[in-house]
Amino acid sequence: MTNLSEETLATSAAGLPVTPGLTALMAKIQPLIDGGRLDNIVDVLSLVSDMTDLLDAAMVEKLARLFENATAATWTVSNAVRLAKAEVAAAPEPPGAYALIKLLNDPDTRKGLAVVLKTLNVIGRQL
Amino acid sequence: MSKRIVIVGGGVGGTMLANQLASKLYPEILRGEVSIALLSNSPDHYYKPAFMYVAFNQFFEEELKRPERSLLRPEISFYVEEVTRFDFPGQCLKTRSGKRYGYDFLVIATGCVPAPERIEGLKEAGDHFYQYQPARQLAERLNTIKKGRIFITVSFPQTPNVPHQCGIAPVETTLMLDDFLRRRGVRDQVEIVYTYPTTAQLLRNCLFLQRPTGDILPGIFEQKNIRFQRGFTLSRVDPERKIAYSEEGEEQPFDILMATPPIRAVDAVLESGASHAPNNEGWLPTHHETLQVYGLEHVYVIGDTVDLPVSKAGGACHNQAPVIANNIAAEIRLGAPHSVYDGRVQAVAQMGLNAGMPLWYDYAHDVLPTPPTKLGGLLRNGFNRGLYWAVARGML
Repeated sequence: MTNLSEETLATSAAGLPVTPGLTALMAKIQPLIDGGRLDNIVDVLSLVSDMTDLLDAAMVEKLARLFENATAATWTVSNAVRLAKAEVAAAPEPPGAYALIKLLNDPDTRKGLAVVLKTLNVIGRQL
Repeated sequence: MSKRIVIVGGGVGGTMLANQLASKLYPEILRGEVSIALLSNSPDHYYKPAFMYVAFNQFFEEELKRPERSLLRPEISFYVEEVTRFDFPGQCLKTRSGKRYGYDFLVIATGCVPAPERIEGLKEAGDHFYQYQPARQLAERLNTIKKGRIFITVSFPQTPNVPHQCGIAPVETTLMLDDFLRRRGVRDQVEIVYTYPTTAQLLRNCLFLQRPTGDILPGIFEQKNIRFQRGFTLSRVDPERKIAYSEEGEEQPFDILMATPPIRAVDAVLESGASHAPNNEGWLPTHHETLQVYGLEHVYVIGDTVDLPVSKAGGACHNQAPVIANNIAAEIRLGAPHSVYDGRVQAVAQMGLNAGMPLWYDYAHDVLPTPPTKLGGLLRNGFNRGLYWAVARGML
């Protein structure tokens, strides 16, 4: 059994008390020190700290909006493609020309088509 | 015959559950064996926790709502219908428009509503931040108060061991209020008094409904010169004299009464006869593990309408939705539910206008409070502004 009082009183070279936590942490870090790579980790921590200082409520709001726009667009398109593929695959044979024209005249198709055409229109407007 | 799953309520619980069910039961939906419908009384979905920010000028109404249809997967049918009657034996619902919807599985996700009218004088003289208009009214008052006394009260449901809406909200808003008044430069002239009722779920004479958090609150409040008082159970309010009376026999003056009001289930649930909760509060008897409603076949409940001891908040729905989705899928595929809810709730508490404290708890563990940090505040802001909508869509 180890002598707890001796262990508690022991201090490292830097004057820190050698606690079990410090011993465990140092054992984890030792390979980084041996390989001369600890500096990189300290640099990364500095960078994270800089980022935290730079972030403010307004920037978080903008980033969050960007996140929502990206995820919502991806989600909407992937949901539509998944369902459309499944519905087409479930049909016993490919739709005929008349069925396609009928689909084109469906109000939902016309709405979707309008969104695609409008998107191209808006892109053109910005050129 | 196709199994019809009907979800009533377009809040965060109903919305994320509908999306998770669509994903879980995709093979059956494609084969036409399962259909999912969601009924809501509003075409818009509101991020309800943002109402609290509205009270401190931190959110516009336009920023906290989205069309419900845009949050639902295309496999889900969405109807703007207010359910007026649950016919459990007949397995159908009736709506205000006169339509009838049959179901094989029903999920009640209708939330709860503030009921300040249940305390005499509170509706007339009190303010709260649990809905948009009341939060705007509170904001107007907080924007203009120059000196006086802001008195904070918390009313629990009378159903034993059921919490008020969003357990941490009164603490969050008290700390936000302190920051807000400091920013306005009037904090020195405005006294803030935080009170808590004698009975808070299983605890008595405390400052918060969980012991570890309650124990650290005096230190936080003293540091910010916020007065606090235990054992003030609001019983009535005199709007003329601006006095709040407690069941314990005290009377306290106020200039603004920032109250967490009584709450109740929606009318259709109150009138359904399925609840045995006292005081006509309407909480449904909920199996704490499967989330089925006791005494009813194939009926589940999610979110604020449960009678469980967990927070009435989105962080609870987030952990209940996967359990209900699994259990409905298991009933359809295997004949019996098999997933278990462990009471987990997680959130990032807004501790003042800038700081945040991530937290979690479940049936067996209380929140272990940690020091609020700037990073925690940024995480909460990021959640409010962006991550939330991914959660509602069932992506996170």
